[in-house]
Amino acid sequence: MNNKQMSTLQQQRKVVEQLRREASIRRVNVSVAIEDLKKYIQEHENDDYLLVGFHSQKANPFREKSSCTIL
Amino acid sequence: MNELDNLRQEAETLKSAIRDARKAACDTNLVQVTVNMEPVGRIQMRTRRTLRGHLAKIYAMHWGSESRYLVSASQDGKLIVWDAYTTNKVHAIPLRSSWVMTCAYASSGSYVACGGLDNICSIYSLKTREGNVRVSRELPGHTGYLSCCRFLDDNQIVTSSGDMTCALWDIETGQQCTLFTGHTGDVMSLSLSPDVRTFVSGACDASSKLWDIRDGMCKQTFPGHESDINAVTFFPNGYAFATGSDDATCRLFDIRADQELAMYSHDNIICGITSVAFSKSGRLLMAGYDDFNCNVWDSMKAERAGVLAGHDNRVSCLGVTEDGMAIATGSWDSFLKIWN
Repeated sequence: MNNKQMSTLQQQRKVVEQLRREASIRRVNVSVAIEDLKKYIQEHENDDYLLVGFHSQKANPFREKSSCTIL
Repeated sequence: MNELDNLRQEAETLKSAIRDARKAACDTNLVQVTVNMEPVGRIQMRTRRTLRGHLAKIYAMHWGSESRYLVSASQDGKLIVWDAYTTNKVHAIPLRSSWVMTCAYASSGSYVACGGLDNICSIYSLKTREGNVRVSRELPGHTGYLSCCRFLDDNQIVTSSGDMTCALWDIETGQQCTLFTGHTGDVMSLSLSPDVRTFVSGACDASSKLWDIRDGMCKQTFPGHESDINAVTFFPNGYAFATGSDDATCRLFDIRADQELAMYSHDNIICGITSVAFSKSGRLLMAGYDDFNCNVWDSMKAERAGVLAGHDNRVSCLGVTEDGMAIATGSWDSFLKIWN
């Protein structure tokens, strides 16, 4: 075996080792996974300003600055 | 070569087994499970600030942790740190190489980092005793362009590169502590998990990979996209992530189910996605496109909920503040816009 064949073999060994690792993980059902994402969203949606907006523009740190000044 | 043939066959068998195991876990689909969720309605945001000052295309931006300052990088050879509330420029940092592709803000606020075609990640100290900004460390080592970088803390940074690897660096010593190998194409983007124990990478081999930061192992690989992945971002609970690709789709992948949950696309959308970010609850997924727009997707119903239109060129980067109050978009038109 020459050096190039040796390194292809080593590479392929690594590929198989990695695939073995990835094949052996425990998977959760999609239904459970999506329920958890839904739950997280529902628990946090009231604080999601891009979703629900601001109650008043005073709470928005990026509101347009007014042009009036108090003398 | 008998062993090589055996290994190749074993690889195919394992790939089949993974496909089957994913199918076995796929007991429903997103639309079914979310059918009773309230629709988000029309999401309309306004440009609240326009940050003017760069003289060329903006390639990257990153919010600081106080949701007020952000850093942007442009091929005019400058990093600018902005006060987004006032639009003032806090720092304008001239770069040694103008071919910058990424920038990052440390959560302490004390450092920013950048890199690009120079293959180097440069760390700049913003809080020197003399009061000026200077390079505090250069991290050479990648043999390809720096596409993305993110600080773990003031002394550790993760980078992704066109050399197909990611790396974890000790900034003080300038050494690579860990090298993350496995992608077979340029790695374009990375996103740290909320618990900072793992990160996800997206690459031109059309796959995303989940990595353990400490031991350097690739834990999972997610196929599905049909072209280069340009952007990845974690869902706020750390159990899922979204990607954006040149195949004109964004997708949602779940880590525990080890598979794609949703695709965000439309027949009218035929251009690539450059950047992605979730809103604070994860319900909205914002994506920047080559067609100058940013689309807002309802992540649970997989429908478009709004558009941020206002740039005159490609939206190259975007980011949502940690407090969830605003989104910033950066563009090849040289402007950044803040929306909510």
